[in-house]
Amino acid sequence: MNTAIPSWWRGVGAALWALAAILLGASLWAIWNYAPTEVQMGIVQKIVYVHVPSATMTLCAFGLTFAASIAYLTTKQWAWDAVAAASCELGMVFATVVMVTGPLWARSAWNTWWTWEPRLTTFLILWILYAGYHVVRSSIRSSSKRTVSSILGIILFVNLPVVWMSIQWWRGSLHPRNVTMTGEMRTTLLLSMGAWMVFFAAALLTRLRLEWIREDALERDLAGARTPEAGRAGA
Amino acid sequence: MTFLSVMRKDLRLHARDARFLATLLLFSASLVLILSVAFGPIFKDPTREASATLWAALFFAGVLGLTRSLDLEGESGGGDALRLTGADPYSLYLGKTAANFLLLSGVFVLVLPIASIFFDVGNLEVLPGVLGVAALGLIGYAAWGTLFAALARGLKARELLLSVLLFPSLVPLWIGAVKLTHSLWAEGTVEPVRDWIKVMAVADILGLALAAFLYELIQEATE
Repeated sequence: MNTAIPSWWRGVGAALWALAAILLGASLWAIWNYAPTEVQMGIVQKIVYVHVPSATMTLCAFGLTFAASIAYLTTKQWAWDAVAAASCELGMVFATVVMVTGPLWARSAWNTWWTWEPRLTTFLILWILYAGYHVVRSSIRSSSKRTVSSILGIILFVNLPVVWMSIQWWRGSLHPRNVTMTGEMRTTLLLSMGAWMVFFAAALLTRLRLEWIREDALERDLAGARTPEAGRAGA
Repeated sequence: MTFLSVMRKDLRLHARDARFLATLLLFSASLVLILSVAFGPIFKDPTREASATLWAALFFAGVLGLTRSLDLEGESGGGDALRLTGADPYSLYLGKTAANFLLLSGVFVLVLPIASIFFDVGNLEVLPGVLGVAALGLIGYAAWGTLFAALARGLKARELLLSVLLFPSLVPLWIGAVKLTHSLWAEGTVEPVRDWIKVMAVADILGLALAAFLYELIQEATE
């Protein structure tokens, strides 16, 4: 197995980080200077430009974990497992942003930090379960780590449609079923969405590079252990 | 049939271990006692508190049963021997799930009268309905629990990991069971919360279906 990092990898990663920085800067500018302040909620409404893209990226990241887990179980190539784990880690970061910004919004909009409405409850369950994925993954030292993680990546995906559909399936949801934004607000939201998406891609490439380096080091260790000199030194 | 043989084997092993059964039953009864003391002595809404207590006790005590069923696999190479028979992995899973379901049903039969007496709720008229809810809840618990227990086999701190993964996954089942039991005890019917029957049925089917695809892979991974 050749685990050397392709030369173009770092270049693409750097370009994506630069683009992410520009887009995130532009979206921050748009949030404060371009999008109008909402009349009823005031400045707190601007949380939506972080909250909605983070929630979307959470679902995308965990969806990628699911797809990469299936790919690993099918092909048994370590790179797919690395994609699943890296994507899941980033998904947890985005999910945590959602869990922090949500109560800030809720306090202003619903006069409470937390309420047991369907979307909040199902998202909290999702957060706990994917946190469990990392706990399980880090506690396995054997060769079964990748297979067990991939199986878990598939099982946990069942919760994503539940989170998505919770506001349709259960009554009493405070989240709106349809959000219609127009003009500057819509443009700002789309810009934020694009910025977070590029940030995700850049972070994923960087995280994968770390995994690649780790795999390469492991491969070298194993190759070293197989040489006769290493065997004599061990004896 | 493999499924029946595995179920009989697990149940026989459970039956031989009187200390395990006594611990399981005492633990579940203690949970009901602790929760009823926490809610009482004067209950605001006894039917709601009793249904929550009943299902919380069952779900927590159930982890003991699942962990024990894991241990049975490890003891004296029993799990390896089963796999060496070349039996269909899904039949093995179904056998273990059925054994876990029957074990949990036994705990339910003990805990139900205790909760009913402590909270002074329930009557014989709604008992068939409550048993139906129990069947839906415990099939799902056994299906998901056996799947996760197989996945946690061989891991460090597996009881902890089992709880971390299992309880959040079972939340739809737990809410459904509590709401339906509460409705039966309070109003004598499940009509106001009928939709939860569908949610629980979907959770049951999903657990059994996922195992059909994944159990063989889990077995290979944890060998």
